Amino acid sequence: MIGIVSYGSYIPRCRIPIADIARAWKKDGEEVVRSLGLTDKSVPAFDEDAATIAIEAALSCFTPFHGDPTDVDVLFVGSESHPYAVNPTSTIVGELLGLGNTYLAADLEFACKAGTAAMQAIAGLVAAGHAKYGLAIGADTAQGKPHDFLEYTAAAGGAAFLLGSEHVAARLLGDTSYSSDTPDFWRRDGMRYPSHAGRFTGEPAYYSHVLGAAGRLLEMTGTTASDYDYCIFHMPNGKFPREVAKRLGFSREQLQPSLLVDHIGNAYSATTMLALAAVLDIARPNQKIFMVSYGSGAGSDAFVWETTSELKKIQQVRAKNTLLVADAIRNKAYVDYVQFLKLTHKL
Amino acid sequence: MQSPVKIWRNQKNIANLVGKTGKILSWTIVRVPPGDFTDQAPYPVVLVELESGKRVTCQLVDYEESNLAFGQSVVTIIRRVTHPDSDGVIPYGIKAKPLV
Amino acid sequence: MKIYVNGAVTTQFGELWGVSPRSLARGSVESALKDAGIESGQVEALFVGNMLSGMLGGQEHLGAFFAEELGLSVPAFKVEGACASGGLALHNAVNSLLSGQYATVAVLGIEKMTDHKPEDVATALMGAGSEEERSAGATFPGLYAMLARMHIQEFGTTEEQLAAVAVKNHYHASLNPNAQFHNLLTVEQVMGSSKVADPLKLLDCSPISDGAAAVILSSKKAKGSVEIAASVVATDSLGLAQRTHLTQLTSTQKAAQKAYHIAGIRADDVRVAEVHDCFTIAEVLAMEDLGFFPRGEAAVAIEKGETRLGVSTRVVVNPSGGLKGCGHPVGATGVKQVVELVEQLRGSAGKRQVDNATIGLSHNVGGSGATAVVHILKK
Repeated sequence: MIGIVSYGSYIPRCRIPIADIARAWKKDGEEVVRSLGLTDKSVPAFDEDAATIAIEAALSCFTPFHGDPTDVDVLFVGSESHPYAVNPTSTIVGELLGLGNTYLAADLEFACKAGTAAMQAIAGLVAAGHAKYGLAIGADTAQGKPHDFLEYTAAAGGAAFLLGSEHVAARLLGDTSYSSDTPDFWRRDGMRYPSHAGRFTGEPAYYSHVLGAAGRLLEMTGTTASDYDYCIFHMPNGKFPREVAKRLGFSREQLQPSLLVDHIGNAYSATTMLALAAVLDIARPNQKIFMVSYGSGAGSDAFVWETTSELKKIQQVRAKNTLLVADAIRNKAYVDYVQFLKLTHKL
Repeated sequence: MQSPVKIWRNQKNIANLVGKTGKILSWTIVRVPPGDFTDQAPYPVVLVELESGKRVTCQLVDYEESNLAFGQSVVTIIRRVTHPDSDGVIPYGIKAKPLV
Repeated sequence: MKIYVNGAVTTQFGELWGVSPRSLARGSVESALKDAGIESGQVEALFVGNMLSGMLGGQEHLGAFFAEELGLSVPAFKVEGACASGGLALHNAVNSLLSGQYATVAVLGIEKMTDHKPEDVATALMGAGSEEERSAGATFPGLYAMLARMHIQEFGTTEEQLAAVAVKNHYHASLNPNAQFHNLLTVEQVMGSSKVADPLKLLDCSPISDGAAAVILSSKKAKGSVEIAASVVATDSLGLAQRTHLTQLTSTQKAAQKAYHIAGIRADDVRVAEVHDCFTIAEVLAMEDLGFFPRGEAAVAIEKGETRLGVSTRVVVNPSGGLKGCGHPVGATGVKQVVELVEQLRGSAGKRQVDNATIGLSHNVGGSGATAVVHILKK
């Protein structure tokens, strides 16, 4: 049975209140907060990037892991802010983690679902016996153009999942993916900031793919929303995940523990994976989790996880080392708009 | 541009120093930086004694004023070290952050 | 065999915009030859102390460069040891005479720093530290600031006491026509100057300067000769992180102890000293490391004036104004210190004259204490 053997998470320390961004552009702070449904977003430090964040998430993942790092046979890093256009983030991370040389490394890009695509691909390699352990990382220092709508939500964070077939803490009961060519959000090579198609990013993009993948997975597993203890949906803002959960028949209580967006914004490739880490941090054994990511361009990866008693050990180690997602959310320092511009290299 | 070969040779040193805990022996705040560091100043530079007994000099990040104190516990992490040229290899290296 | 300083001259130190390294060299060496009463043809080798010619000016090979400029077709060497380049050039010159290979040599300490932006100079100066210190964005004020903080913590040294070093050295410099600064300072002014690397402020730090100093060394005595009774070098780790002690410079202690032994003297026999006050804390450390004051007590003593011209009955420190008041063209300093001691021991130091100066000591440091050079001069 394959699944999650260990996991790690990292959120940069700085935060900026969305209302402060709004006020910098002479908008009504409270109105923006209400319409987007989030309060703060995370801001990377001046010297952080997707590679350093991926490393933090991976080191956090290795803390509860008792195996040998050199048994990790595959490492994929998914991001839309890889530090290089050509040069793998995955080997920068792999070298520093001490994985040795005998592993498959590759970088993935698929907007916000690059990390979950890595998880599905690695699950396949492990299930085929092609890899003993595989590490999937989603990490981003996402940027929005100043004064653009995305400036309010583009945030930073990282999460890492080690998949294997022994001492599994959360079993992968089923997964599927739903893809199409839908240009809702993109960034051309050489352009600093992404572009998007406004309201087109809603129904034809986010909702169509999330519902498409979710519907298919519920059918494949013969389940309905009420069979699950928790649900996780990608969070480009505070409204979309709440709306799609409602449409699928999930309750507020099932969704609530995953709603990191309220506190840290959308960490792009890390968002859904960080939410999974947050849920695993509080789940009890034998609980079921329904998870659907979304990446613009577009596609959704859907997973069903079932926790086991092995999860407790990981939770204890994470708690002891102040590595829980809740710890990272609490450990924050606010910056103002000018500091935010300096930290994100716009000044 | 930093030599990619030197960066490569230095990787093992960095891998051996990350994730280590220690205590601050002394510190300063650099307010007049050297050329490569102009957009980072002011920043603290600390002298840390790791649990192994080894001492390192590095920047302190993610800190509050109150963390600049003798004996403050820190842990070593990886960050970008210097501002890379727009076409150069990115140097990653060791910095320290206070242990909460 | 005894080694003598027969000629000793410095140029003006300061921001010498219109003066090139070539004219600094000619000015100092030609005057030193005159002071020694010899012709250039009698010089058998040239030692040049300099740190930054390559990094800032793109010019290495300074031995050949200045030999040509000075019309000396003799063996010529650039010697580099960060801010101890001048002292090391002297040490190598002394050894060349002791070897018997030469009888008379010239030593030129020279640095041109003001042609370049201060940030570029600061980056180049960090070539004196370790790779780790450079990667951390440390500067030399930053490294000495960390030493200062530990000295403050361990001995209760105060920032006002550090400031007193700068005040004293500016007073001495006001009496030195060649010094970069002639203005007097108060403790309040030093305390109020802007922070460079906490706790060190702008007026705790020696300036960026241009200047040169030249001496003629010989195994032959002449009129006005001052004897070099000891020339000793000691080294310690490049970076602070690898030091055994952080409130003392072991290299200074080792060099001084060996120098006292070779010269047959004790620390309290020294009546006049030129020490390496690249930062105010460096002079406090030097006082203790050279054995002039017990550990932890130098700062109070300096504050009380125990090393000040006209007040001290023990040892006058940095009558030239030191690095802070006279200026610190890096490669020139070690040689300038010996020029000052020669003038003191000859009795020709004018308003800066220290009474009964028969034994002098110079102390030149490279980096944050990786190299220390101590010379002892006797009349």
